[in-house]
Amino acid sequence: MQERIILHVDLNAFFASVEQQSNPGLRGKPVAVIGSRERTVITTASYEARKYGVKTGMSIWEAKNRCPNIILVVGNNRKYTYTSSAIFKMMLDYTPLVEVFSIDEAFLDVTHSLKIFGTPERIVYLLKARIRHSFGLTCSAGIAPNKLLAKLASDMQKPDGLTIIRPDEVQNILEKIPIKNLCGIGTRMEKHLSLLGIKTCAELGRFPANILIKKFGVTGKHLHEMGLGIDNSPVIPADGKDRVKSVGHSMTLPKDISNRQEILKQMLILSEMVGRRARRYSVSGKTISLYIRYADFYSSFTRQHTVASPMNQSHDIYRTAVAILDAVELHQPVRLIGIRLSNLRHNVNQLPLFPYEHKKALMVKAMDDVNNRYGDFTLTFASLLDESEKCSRVISPAWRPDGIRCVDVR
Amino acid sequence: MFPRGVPVRIAVIYEPGKRIKPVWFELNRRQYRIVETTYQWKDKVGETSFLHYAVSDGQSLYELIFNPLDQTWTLNTQHTE
Repeated sequence: MQERIILHVDLNAFFASVEQQSNPGLRGKPVAVIGSRERTVITTASYEARKYGVKTGMSIWEAKNRCPNIILVVGNNRKYTYTSSAIFKMMLDYTPLVEVFSIDEAFLDVTHSLKIFGTPERIVYLLKARIRHSFGLTCSAGIAPNKLLAKLASDMQKPDGLTIIRPDEVQNILEKIPIKNLCGIGTRMEKHLSLLGIKTCAELGRFPANILIKKFGVTGKHLHEMGLGIDNSPVIPADGKDRVKSVGHSMTLPKDISNRQEILKQMLILSEMVGRRARRYSVSGKTISLYIRYADFYSSFTRQHTVASPMNQSHDIYRTAVAILDAVELHQPVRLIGIRLSNLRHNVNQLPLFPYEHKKALMVKAMDDVNNRYGDFTLTFASLLDESEKCSRVISPAWRPDGIRCVDVR
Repeated sequence: MFPRGVPVRIAVIYEPGKRIKPVWFELNRRQYRIVETTYQWKDKVGETSFLHYAVSDGQSLYELIFNPLDQTWTLNTQHTE
């Protein structure tokens, strides 16, 4: 079998770099991008700010404490999704096998592109030059025989680096790399492995596979392979026909709320967002989940309800979610609400049997037509008319440039 | 600070390759000559695509928005550098 050649490309401090390019006054300065809502955290920090220890997810207070001169910029999500989509489109000029991993990362399988472009290094240089020329942005790239190692390689030299891991170098490189550097090993897994005396990737590879399997099940086998630098997962290109398992939206509220009417309004907005996306991609679901996070941030709950026939009309989703809410007692004001449609059926559209149902379906279709043309929530429920915030403001890690995962964010 | 979404009088150059280069815009009878387009992006509301241009007159940064549907330009934001 031919050795695969996989690239991993990671845009450096993406949101902050876009803002520094947009505003030359920010270049070379410590910059942090924050959300537009009241309760926000650091979304991305520039490399100048990272030197002071400013990190993603940090509170603004802590960031200012670490770096008093930090410049906070409210992020412009549409600028980022546009830039990201344009860069992913550029990548398709080098191979059709491009897997978008997140808004600022992608894998490219260039095994069969070398007859046209020569070497994988040349592809990286061409791509880096185009990204820099078009947007002024830099990226780090890794070249390796699989996705696991390509991602590991791209993390080795930041910003603007290129690292190559050749098949015969894998063992040597893994010898000293800490396990936390491997994609998929989080803090909790690192602690579990540390208790077994495993600190480096090579130690993970040498550890008896049967013990790992006994302790972690199927994941144990996967961990053993990761320690050996083995990853046979293919680069899966997005074809716009993504078979997702659920469609959901959540929203951190500008302030904690306990008033039932206020909570219901937010649930109606979320139901419409879920319903619109489900209908646009001809998806219906039988299970509705309601997620509530309380004001103390740490306590939360999820409840779900499954109905007999699949639904995707916003009002049906809303009614089911309200029934779930009515069955629980809220102990604190609400900080975050999420609604998810799962147990999905793809391309199923049941014809309405009764006149009332038929009229309702026609009304929903008419609303969708208007909103498709003039924008989401142009025509909406009367109870939402006085609500100003009716959209996603956070780019989810599951965001993709096309298909059902392409959520319109502001 | 200007209010958001103010219609402006503008001069642009249509360059080869569907590129639009704003040259100057006028607001409150004052002309702002653009020395650099620092960034550009697109967004969509319904079926309408809007083209956004972050431009600088050397002193301040402005965001101009072009609506291709009704061929109008508006000034969205201004940051003093």
